[in-house]
Amino acid sequence: MEIVVCVKPVPDAETRLRTAADGSTLDIEAVKFVLTGYDESAVEQALLLKEANPGSKVHVVSAGPPPRTEEVLRASLALGCDLATWVEMPPGVAPDPVSAARALARAVAAVPHELVLCGKNAGDDEAGVVAGALAELLGVPDYSAVLDLRWDAAASRLRFQRSTEAGVEKWEAPLPCVVALQQAWNDPRTAKLPAILKSRRLPIAKVPPEAAIPATGTTRPTKFELPPPRTGAKLIEFKTPEEAAQKLVKVLKEDAKVFP
Amino acid sequence: MPDFSLTPEQESLRDLARKFARTEMAPHAAECDRASRFPEEIYRKAFDLGLLNLNLPTEYGGSGLGLFDQCLIVEELAYGCGGMTTTVIAHCLALAPILLDGSPEQKERFLKPIGAEYRLAAFALTEPSGGSDPGSMRTLARRDGDGYVLSGEKCFISNAPQASLFVVFANTDPSQRHKGVTAFVVPRSANGVTVGPDDEKMGHRASSTAAIRFDDVRVPASDRLGPEGGGFSLAMRTLDHTRTPIGALATGIAQAALDHAASYSLKRETFGKPISEHQAIQIKLANMAQAVQAARLLTWRAAWLIDRGQKGTLESSIAKCFASDAAFAVADEAIQTFGGYGYMREYPVEKLLRDAKLTQIYEGANEIQRIVIARELLRGYG
Repeated sequence: MEIVVCVKPVPDAETRLRTAADGSTLDIEAVKFVLTGYDESAVEQALLLKEANPGSKVHVVSAGPPPRTEEVLRASLALGCDLATWVEMPPGVAPDPVSAARALARAVAAVPHELVLCGKNAGDDEAGVVAGALAELLGVPDYSAVLDLRWDAAASRLRFQRSTEAGVEKWEAPLPCVVALQQAWNDPRTAKLPAILKSRRLPIAKVPPEAAIPATGTTRPTKFELPPPRTGAKLIEFKTPEEAAQKLVKVLKEDAKVFP
Repeated sequence: MPDFSLTPEQESLRDLARKFARTEMAPHAAECDRASRFPEEIYRKAFDLGLLNLNLPTEYGGSGLGLFDQCLIVEELAYGCGGMTTTVIAHCLALAPILLDGSPEQKERFLKPIGAEYRLAAFALTEPSGGSDPGSMRTLARRDGDGYVLSGEKCFISNAPQASLFVVFANTDPSQRHKGVTAFVVPRSANGVTVGPDDEKMGHRASSTAAIRFDDVRVPASDRLGPEGGGFSLAMRTLDHTRTPIGALATGIAQAALDHAASYSLKRETFGKPISEHQAIQIKLANMAQAVQAARLLTWRAAWLIDRGQKGTLESSIAKCFASDAAFAVADEAIQTFGGYGYMREYPVEKLLRDAKLTQIYEGANEIQRIVIARELLRGYG
């Protein structure tokens, strides 16, 4: 099976984010970009399918600026993807979801693709737009919030589950299609040290973004703000539960004015 | 101009070790320390990820890293747990003499199995009568037919309880003192090898350490490393390669101590404000940060020199000695920053002091390092 996985470089959750001086972009000087949960699940799913279906190939594709995009592609190669394509945006330019989908669709259309896997949404903006837009641009159906994907070769059908608020749905679908994966249900593997070293030497195919796409996209954030620091916590000291209750009622009435 | 930035490749190696240390090692560090438990499952995972055979060349199934990259990894691992990291570096220490003086046939025979599956090796140099004076070594290797017969006792041998293979130093001609020292590879299964009970240690309790007794152990000549009498030089050349990672291990402990102290200082309040706003604590943190950075840079420089083919004896001794003293001092100040809580086992910093202590002692006590430093230094003035 020809599998394509689309990934996005996302700031590491352990990085301390700061807004840049202009207030509408993030200060990415000290930010580390990584593969995050949904995309890790997608890569893991691709590798599991490849292992279960000998002869399959996994091609990882990402659209974005250097150096972060190359890093997530190399991380995917270290995990076991076979090929990588980078739609190279100018430095510092991160595409918005629709531009990303258009750039990815063009790259995916140019390579063999029976099954296209994505994370359900990106770990940073959580937009959840790319998989649907990509399917539309490729002219194939898409399925979201998918868990536990298997290929039933005898029936030529994908079999999978979807996690919904009502419960877990069981589905089957023919290829080709786009599938957006739920996060971390499949315990993504860790790349081994020799594979990490080897991944640095593997080739990455670079393609330019389509000239017609504005690199910054059709939408742009106008302002980033850090959440205000939390204030107003009050610690009630007490010796007996009765005293605690009395003091709490007093605070609720007089300070918080929850009760008259 | 020197360049202190890491390559993307080095960053990804460091990230792998960091993630492993923080998600696999650190959560078990306190429990293994308390129970003196050797967490084999963690070392097996380290083997699977390529974080165990750091210095073993890729042709034997290892990770084949240079010293600088080994140091990056060791520092991260030690941040998670110094004791577990000792198991890793004691293993690499035992591989080094085989890599240095082993014949191609010996490397194939001894190292291939180590790269192929999880197995530990141990470096057996120290004896009850002393570790820093190989000339007075009492373990003897008597010529017997086409081989040798080993007798004697080694002590404080890291990984001895689990190792499948020992690199043993024994004297083939005691009249020659250190010039009679010869190195052998002895499998654990050899007749006459007895490993003693696990030593009860002050720190590094996730690693295991024991004495080994050799009662007339027959060793074929084909298992001798290098020539008769070449063992002392081999031990010294080995330690030239493995001293620097001790500096990295100590730096990892020191960085953990600083991180604990700094985070705690922002939360703990006295006299109506976080203690981080008291100058007494700020001065401590500033001194700790200086020690950590200096330890790391000295370690990096020594590793960089050795990777460039220089001997680096002076620099690696300085790195090991400075970083281990720094780790002890920084862990001490971290406890002081925590106050009474720091002295409690419930908090993580007292373990760091116990772990830091060993780095001042093993792989050449800091007194020996200072003798080496002075000797190397004075050469430049003679």
